[in-house]
Amino acid sequence: MGNVVKERGLVLEKTFVAVGKQLTQAGVGQKVLELILIGVVFLILVPFLGAHRATDFAIFCIIVLSFDLLYGYMGRLSFGHLLYVGVGAYTVGLALRYLTTNPLLAIVLGIVAACLAGMAVGAITVRIAGAAFALANLAFNRVGWFLVMSPLKDITGGENGLSIRNLSFWYVNFRNPTFRFWFVLASLLLVFLLLRVFTSSSYGVLLRSIKEDEKRVRFLGYNTQFYKWVTFVLAATVAGFGGALTALNYGYVNPNTLDVHANAGIVFACLLGGSGRLYGALLGGIIYMLITNLLPVYFQRWEFFLGVALLLIVFRFRGGIWGGLEALYSGLAARAKSGSSKEGMSR
Amino acid sequence: MIYAIMYGLTVGAVLYLISVGFSLTFGTMRVINFAHTITYTLGAYLLIASIRSLGVPFFWGGAVGVVVAALAGYCIERFVIRRLYGESLDYTFIATYAVFLIGVDIVKWLWGVFPKPVSDPLGKTVDILGFVFPTYRLLVILLAIVVFFGLELFMRKTMVGKIIVAALDNREGVRCLGIGVEKYFSLAFVLGSALAALGGVLYAPITAVHPYMGSHILLLCFAVVLTGGLGNLRGTFLASFALGMLISITGRYWPAGSEIVAFIAMAAVLLARPIEA
Amino acid sequence: MLQVAGIDVAYGHAKVLHDVSLDLEEGKMLFVVGRNGAGKTTLLRTIMGLLRPLKGSIYFDGGDITGLPPEQLYHRGIRYVTQDKKVFGSLTVRENIEIAAYSSGEPLSQALDKVLEIYPKMKDFLNLKAGQLSGGQRQILLIGQAMVGNPRLLLVDEPTQGLAAIVINEIARILKHLKGRLSAVVVEQNLPLVSQLADRVVALKEGKVTQVLDDASEICNTSLLEKAL
Repeated sequence: MGNVVKERGLVLEKTFVAVGKQLTQAGVGQKVLELILIGVVFLILVPFLGAHRATDFAIFCIIVLSFDLLYGYMGRLSFGHLLYVGVGAYTVGLALRYLTTNPLLAIVLGIVAACLAGMAVGAITVRIAGAAFALANLAFNRVGWFLVMSPLKDITGGENGLSIRNLSFWYVNFRNPTFRFWFVLASLLLVFLLLRVFTSSSYGVLLRSIKEDEKRVRFLGYNTQFYKWVTFVLAATVAGFGGALTALNYGYVNPNTLDVHANAGIVFACLLGGSGRLYGALLGGIIYMLITNLLPVYFQRWEFFLGVALLLIVFRFRGGIWGGLEALYSGLAARAKSGSSKEGMSR
Repeated sequence: MIYAIMYGLTVGAVLYLISVGFSLTFGTMRVINFAHTITYTLGAYLLIASIRSLGVPFFWGGAVGVVVAALAGYCIERFVIRRLYGESLDYTFIATYAVFLIGVDIVKWLWGVFPKPVSDPLGKTVDILGFVFPTYRLLVILLAIVVFFGLELFMRKTMVGKIIVAALDNREGVRCLGIGVEKYFSLAFVLGSALAALGGVLYAPITAVHPYMGSHILLLCFAVVLTGGLGNLRGTFLASFALGMLISITGRYWPAGSEIVAFIAMAAVLLARPIEA
Repeated sequence: MLQVAGIDVAYGHAKVLHDVSLDLEEGKMLFVVGRNGAGKTTLLRTIMGLLRPLKGSIYFDGGDITGLPPEQLYHRGIRYVTQDKKVFGSLTVRENIEIAAYSSGEPLSQALDKVLEIYPKMKDFLNLKAGQLSGGQRQILLIGQAMVGNPRLLLVDEPTQGLAAIVINEIARILKHLKGRLSAVVVEQNLPLVSQLADRVVALKEGKVTQVLDDASEICNTSLLEKAL
């Protein structure tokens, strides 16, 4: 028992050291550049969409990023990720109604609540192998949705949802769309940076190894259940942050935030952009939001479209857009190389 | 109380019919077929559509539902699931979920969004020891029991059944004995689809029929299969009735609890017996 | 009759076998030895077509069988007795044999005779669920099941693992009985057994062939075998 604890401590310690190094030494310039680039992309979106929608896009990207950590990096597909978004959103709504007038405190509470929910559900679901993991999470998501809709409807407002009154406090004013935009953009960049650092540390290598072959990682002496649980909780926590921001952006929470069937949208966005790549998640989030904002105007059959698109991705374009770009890039690079050295004729 | 038990048995019977196919595909190939929900929904809708627009009696409407849904099941297996054999099971899940989305939208497009009622085809009641039961529900329970024994016989006495049972134990072992499991798997799949559609047909007069009716039932089936043991057909039978009872009796004392009690049971089972690779 | 020519095998990105070759003549028994994780099971699974090599070829009876599925290889006479004694536990012993008989087109009575020939005591268990057999009986049932039809090459993975000494003797007796009648590749860590039965020993280490012993005197010398590990 002592050994297990020590081993856990060791890898976590290594990870923290690595994270520290990443933040202080190598590649700081590159990371700053990446963050600026992402910020610029969202600033460009503002004039086309308006600040409110751009904010919406950024929040969705946070949620997709958290999902990508779980699915793209660790290879565990969940169809119940919106539960944590919902927990974050409802906690913010309820906290601002009954507990506090400070939205920042409410956000912290929302994150903590999602983290706790992730800890509880994760303890049960991470031990499930294969596609049953997806369905078990979906079941818990449905339980959460039902609780909000019916037994807890006196405090959550049931189907009608919950409106939030206290949106401004001190300098923090969530009534102001510009403030909301900057706040959410900063949050997105923070989340991106955090995940960027985590996924490129030794912890990230461990996650990808679990995705590749969990058994082998276990044979190497790692307690994979523990790491899967930690990742699940981390993903839930970040999703809860996204949920908290959703609540503040709309000043309103309703059961749609944890609608079971909307999980397909997150899965689709992640696959569309390219799973297992943070840029893929960002790209997928933005493009998915563009589609949902534009398509229904011309086309009524949304679920039909989503189904066909998902099938196309599964059968033809598994790498998604980012994977496609990477393949294109490496293809061009290989061609350029073979052009200069006249090798590679065999392929 | 007697009525709650009676209702629990009816729910259990329907759950059993739908869970069989789910259990077989999950047990043999570890495939989770989310499109199973749409086969079930299709059964119920086709029944109503054929009664309403063709004016056929309940029995023939049900037959249409079962046959067409079994055909749809065959297409799902042949064109979606079979093409993803040997790949990550997550892709199969996503693909069958996609089929579910497409199916739901087609159902909405053909028959509209609003729940449609259909009446009890028998409309009679029987009097047992002073309690009055609808004959139809008794018939549903009886049918589930008949299906159970029929399946037991099929699995134990026929070569095809024995091979399916063997594949549930050890699929690779069957392949290494020179038997292509895919053929038997697709047969089990079609059988499961037909039974799910039968469940939809039988449940239609008792429950509300709407395009998403399948997804909640599928989660209950998942709970049934986990409780009964993967690919364990007897376990599935017992767990269906046990959960059906649990739902119905909880509903009597705590109506809101009936929706979640099955998942609490599922969580307990998962804690005690996780599904590891 | 079996040639494995320079195969590389990987699970995902993790390469397990590197350029492994071996050669087996008709009627001979080849033993593969090596520590856990050396890639022995992977080698057998690849020969049986359950894994596809990245590189290299496998020939059986002069034909290329690389990448053929196990269903086809069975009908060419290759039999795989897996690790962990995985019988069909929900079926009876008789039904376990019946499935093999059905697949190979042999009459059930003839198939049963073949199994009883190597282990007459099985007669008492025919109607028992195979899952209720002891580990040794399950192992013997699997070997018996492999005798159904026309087996030409037997692949056996750790037949004595986790069994009591007395049962190991029984299995050694059965393998000795089969020697000369068909060809076999056996993965085994029990070195005294290896030295008793092997015509050739191949040592695997970290996915590579490190040693091939052909000479009878070398094979009989268990301390030499020990070194090969």
